[in-house]
Amino acid sequence: MNESIVYLLKTENSTFVKASLFDQVTDDHLAMWNNEWVPVMKKHAGDLKLKDAPEDSHWNWKKKLAQVEHLLSYQSFALVCEGVLQGLMIVSNVRSAKIQEQFGKPVVYVEFVSTAPWNRAEINKPVKYRGVGRVFILAAIESSREMGYGGRVGLHSLPQAERFYENKCGFKRLGPESTHQNLCYFEMTSSQADLFCQNMK
Amino acid sequence: MSAKRTMTLNLTDREMLVLEQLAAKKDLSKTGVMKLALRLLQTVDERIEPGKKLVVEDESKNEKSELVFL
Repeated sequence: MNESIVYLLKTENSTFVKASLFDQVTDDHLAMWNNEWVPVMKKHAGDLKLKDAPEDSHWNWKKKLAQVEHLLSYQSFALVCEGVLQGLMIVSNVRSAKIQEQFGKPVVYVEFVSTAPWNRAEINKPVKYRGVGRVFILAAIESSREMGYGGRVGLHSLPQAERFYENKCGFKRLGPESTHQNLCYFEMTSSQADLFCQNMK
Repeated sequence: MSAKRTMTLNLTDREMLVLEQLAAKKDLSKTGVMKLALRLLQTVDERIEPGKKLVVEDESKNEKSELVFL
């Protein structure tokens, strides 16, 4: 397992703080998720109607990881800042690109990504840290480059996150897909990935 | 970075030609193609069990064909 140093914006004092990005989710990370995220998410979602609850509030990361951790085609990431788990992501690397100019070439596909409940404006205002989503997109791009995929990344977005991927990250929107619960598919070319990485510096 | 091990792969001319064509099509090195093939085989092999099929669908023609897999 590798650990990379990244930075998140701590909104309390508007300073960048060091965080650790791990390229493998461990039992310790899952324990943090279970002990720290789940109670906050349950309390928040429990007060809401189902349609208003966060779209990922029912995700069980332990089960998701157990299904794929033995497969070479999946990779998991955990982001820890100041001793607390801030985000989790699972990507796969055997899917094909759909944008015409790179059709048929492999992409790193973001299967699941979540930020901790205290980093979401709808749960905790002001949020504790900003930048978790961008760090994970950067990790997906780096993973794509390491695989020889040139930074190509694809994902289906939950409706609440569509604007983030299109406007903040520079993904191209390809539209809803009936095979994925009508979620909208987004994809990034190598040059869009380069641009995203430049903007992160 | 995980430790890496080296192996030698002997291919026929025909196999090498296919590998080179796939490398060009997928924009990957030949090693990259072989690694992708390994990941794909493991993923599909995990999913295929008695009673399950791997199907290729052509949405425009509304056709489905079974892909026979070892």
